Amino acid sequence: MKMKMISGLMLGAGALAGLMGSAVRAEPIQATPGQEVNAVLLPKFLGILPFDQANRGAQEAAAELGSTGKLQYIGPTPENSAAGQIEMLTTATTQKQHVVMLSNNAGDQIAPAAEAAAAAGTKVVTWDSPIPSGKGESFFVAQVDFGSIGVVMADMVYDLTGGAGEFAVLSASPDASNQNAWIEAMKTTLATHAKYKDLKLDDVVYGNDQSEESYNKALGLVDKYPNLKVIMAPTTVGIVAASKAMQDENLCDKVKVSGLGLPAEMVSYTLNGCAPEFALWSFVDLGYLTYYASYMLATGAIKGEVGEQIHAGRMGDYTIEADPGREGARRILMGPFTVYNKDNVEAAAK
Amino acid sequence: MIRALHPQTLRLIALGLALLAVVLFFSTQIDNYLSPRMFNRISTSAAVVLPVAVGQAIVVITRNIDLSMGSIMGVVAYMVGEALVLWPGLNPALVILMAMGLGAIAGSINGILVAWGRVPSIIVTLGTLALFRTFLVEHGNARTITADALPRWLVDLPQMSLLSLGGLDLRVTVALALAACLIVGLALSRLRPARKFYAVGSNPDAALMAGINSARVVFLAFVISGALAGLGGFIFLAKFGNITVVAGMGFELKAVAAVVVGGVSIMGGSGTMLGVLIGTVLVDTIDNSLTRLPWLSEFWRDALLGILIMAAVTVDTLASRSLNRLKRRGGE
Amino acid sequence: MVPVLELRNVSKSFSATAALKDMNLSILPGEVHAIVGENGAGKSTLIKIMTGVHQPDTGEILVDGHARHLPSPQDAQAAGIAAIYQEPMVFPDLDVAENIFVSNRAKGTWMRWGELYTEADRIVQQLGVTLDVRRAASGLTLAEQQTVEIARALSLNVKILIMDEPTASLSAHEVARLLAIARALKERGVAVIYISHRLDEIFKVADRVTVIRDGQHISTRPIADVTEQGMVRDMVGRAIDAFAMKQAANPHGPVLLSVENLGRAGVFQGISFDLSQGEILCLAGLVGARRTDVALALFGIAPATEGRVTLAGQAVAITTPRQAMDLGIAYVSEDRRKLGLAMPMPIFANISLASLGKLLRAFGLIDRRAETAMAETYRNQLAIKSADVRAEVGKLSGGNQQKVMLAKWLETRPRVLIFDEPTRGIDVGAKAEVHNIIRDLARQGVAVLVISSDLPEVLALADRVLVMREGRQAGLVPIAQASQERIIGLAAGQGERSAA
Repeated sequence: MKMKMISGLMLGAGALAGLMGSAVRAEPIQATPGQEVNAVLLPKFLGILPFDQANRGAQEAAAELGSTGKLQYIGPTPENSAAGQIEMLTTATTQKQHVVMLSNNAGDQIAPAAEAAAAAGTKVVTWDSPIPSGKGESFFVAQVDFGSIGVVMADMVYDLTGGAGEFAVLSASPDASNQNAWIEAMKTTLATHAKYKDLKLDDVVYGNDQSEESYNKALGLVDKYPNLKVIMAPTTVGIVAASKAMQDENLCDKVKVSGLGLPAEMVSYTLNGCAPEFALWSFVDLGYLTYYASYMLATGAIKGEVGEQIHAGRMGDYTIEADPGREGARRILMGPFTVYNKDNVEAAAK
Repeated sequence: MIRALHPQTLRLIALGLALLAVVLFFSTQIDNYLSPRMFNRISTSAAVVLPVAVGQAIVVITRNIDLSMGSIMGVVAYMVGEALVLWPGLNPALVILMAMGLGAIAGSINGILVAWGRVPSIIVTLGTLALFRTFLVEHGNARTITADALPRWLVDLPQMSLLSLGGLDLRVTVALALAACLIVGLALSRLRPARKFYAVGSNPDAALMAGINSARVVFLAFVISGALAGLGGFIFLAKFGNITVVAGMGFELKAVAAVVVGGVSIMGGSGTMLGVLIGTVLVDTIDNSLTRLPWLSEFWRDALLGILIMAAVTVDTLASRSLNRLKRRGGE
Repeated sequence: MVPVLELRNVSKSFSATAALKDMNLSILPGEVHAIVGENGAGKSTLIKIMTGVHQPDTGEILVDGHARHLPSPQDAQAAGIAAIYQEPMVFPDLDVAENIFVSNRAKGTWMRWGELYTEADRIVQQLGVTLDVRRAASGLTLAEQQTVEIARALSLNVKILIMDEPTASLSAHEVARLLAIARALKERGVAVIYISHRLDEIFKVADRVTVIRDGQHISTRPIADVTEQGMVRDMVGRAIDAFAMKQAANPHGPVLLSVENLGRAGVFQGISFDLSQGEILCLAGLVGARRTDVALALFGIAPATEGRVTLAGQAVAITTPRQAMDLGIAYVSEDRRKLGLAMPMPIFANISLASLGKLLRAFGLIDRRAETAMAETYRNQLAIKSADVRAEVGKLSGGNQQKVMLAKWLETRPRVLIFDEPTRGIDVGAKAEVHNIIRDLARQGVAVLVISSDLPEVLALADRVLVMREGRQAGLVPIAQASQERIIGLAAGQGERSAA
């Protein structure tokens, strides 16, 4: 008898929890300001603009939430990126930081350090670039949906070629997981929509995010494919180098450059017609959203489970969902991004 | 005839033959390869590496190595860019001097530590490689030098030619790099004090006994290599316009490759600037040609680059050996 | 007459060891001044102080009667002091002409190569040597390298030329030529400081002789007042029997090593000899006779390309040093720096290097205690002068380095022991010690092959003498029929000429 009652109660509690769950989904979780969260924002490496902008966004969010803990922006130097990240993540763990926000540049090599951090109570949230296996990571704050990047890249090529013609991709490195995913998404888009049937992808080459290599590769593409109309460079280093190469060799009339770029770096090429159109998301917003989600994770307001919905200040509501690109991993999708052209690039560059 | 030739000269002939073999090979594989356009592509690309390779060669001749050259390049490219953003009216000649001066200052830090601190150069420059890069990260504060903030003359410099013959351009950047190579080359073969670089690298003990101040010579080698890295930084700035903290990364290894292929002994004491020039062009030609090879997939490119460089060095070694044999036979 | 160079009460210590104590020395213009002393007597330090490599702790140096501070070799050179060293100091990558003029400030700022070659040619010819001045120095023999060094000093118009063991590696006629050069320099008013262990040379060339011992000045006498015995007594502080010529061969055992028509293409050919247990065979010949190449072939460094080698009745083909060592052949090389010793390593590690297998304990670790004990045994047995077997070999004197190298090979218990110039650059006292060690080894049944350019040494040691000339065997002479004249005659090709 007694037993039955208990099980009945439990059933009831279960139903209640289920109800509450659905209620939560309707009503996003709010962060409780003024709590102590010691956080580390760990970029791929220090010293370049996008990561600095992300830091600005994160600091903005931290001020807004009034965290009594510290938000540190630390990272390795460029020549020591992967090893430095692993070391810094480990250090943050031993310092008992509450959360580390990581733009991963070490592939799965960093997974053991991330797992150790999670085991020791230091949460790891990734942004910009995730841990490929998702091991040790609570969730990934994705700048955009990889699928939608594919569509935007295809559309920009479509615009610049006038709907028909040859183009090539100048990417970062052959093992850069985000670029590879975007290029795959673009290929899928090209193959599945009749609209793009007259676009021909000639080649994918890699400039390894080095100016001179990207510059030479861009010229190599032009020489190799005489009918090339567009170089699509989904990397901020590649797009600038390719634009400069076309400008230096007086090729801007023939070959247009597009891709993902920073307005401040691209403004002159957009205005002079070498790179009339390119896209990017806001790194400030990415940093802001990442901090909000990390704060809530560190304070226990959320657990980082699929279905949890958060309210991220000025940016509104977001939901944790399964990451379609990585099995078993979770993401928060920021989106959307801005397409820049001669009308809006100058304002954005300021 | 062959008997009158110096072994060094034979070495250069062999290297030239290797370059010729490479060019002939690619001309059968790539359409329209032997064209002025290809010449311009490769010459402008090699122009960025050449000053760095020349500087590296001087250091290697003294039996040292400078691994910080890429970082010096980056720092100089950034700081000169910054100066030009602030004072766009700076005289171009002054800007080049400034680039080389800044590089020389950085090089003198290496020089002092190696020459008088007696720390092995590989350790010193591995340290300053990180140190200069960190300085750049701190100093740059995540600001990018962008082409549109730079004066017009600098942005247009890469496409300016001193002279043009049927589409073959002698671009200003190429001329600058060649001038550096020529001046250093002449100095090393004609200027008596410059011969001390060879003496010190060839036998440091003997140099001491012969009354050569080895420390000063080694110091000077690093200062010059710094200055030439600075010149490389200037050309880098002019060519790419967009300077972030990663500028110049990895150039020290490109330079080492060019120097070694160019026949400069890694044990010090021997090597010519003509060799370094051919070495630089050879490596760059292989690199740039491979990207244009229609049947080559991107993933095999790096492997093939390594194989071809090794093949070129082998051709060079075999050729210089058989030329030397011919010479000996001619002598009997 | 004002001395061109004078040292007054010069002292110099390295850590706790006093290398020079209150040294006084006075060199007159245009004299050949010999300095003799045993190993470790302080000669090297003395030279380094005169050439500005080291600075004295106390005391002063006067050049032409004026006190001079010589903080570096450049300053010494500027003061007119140059030196030729025991180990020639050339720049292997530079050609001969440039080697000669490398530090010559009078040559101006620009290189005028044509002029350089002409002038270098002239200086080399003055030395009576044929040498292509456009050749890189890397391929030169030791004797040729030394010629380059002498030419370098000549080109500097020095006032004082220090020759440190200049004839140690020269053949007889080269020695004569060098002595002639020393006299010619003297005529031109250059003071020559001549340091040598070869007493006969000193009597031929020196005007005055200074003996130093234990870092102190013992005596300076005009050559006329010096006797060989007196000089040796001053050097060692006791009387020594100058080694006598061997009268007859020692008794020896059965043939151990048999060499038939051995040759290496383009290097040497037609070498045949039998070497018995307990026998000492000396290889004599002029520099360039390719004697060392025979040794290198037998030791597998530059293997033979023709001929037969039989060891203890078994035909063997030796192609690597490892193989030679396994067969019980050891090679004590002439060039200690290049082939023999690891200079920055301690004495014990050098001694155990060729026989580490014996010292291995479990897990391939080296038994340090046994290693040290092994080194201690040799330190006592061979009288290696060093307080500690942990001392760096590079810091020892030449004679002691030679002993360390010998110890290393003795520990491999060789059946055949090849010595290449075993006493080159070693003083009289140590020389006698080394000779006794070699004789002892032979008595114990080791078959010994000695390459030596020092004829008295050959005649004192050998049971038989194999004379080589230009890569060929010129004769094989039993000791009873050997004389200096006969050996030099064979080595220089006299026999051939009379036969022709």
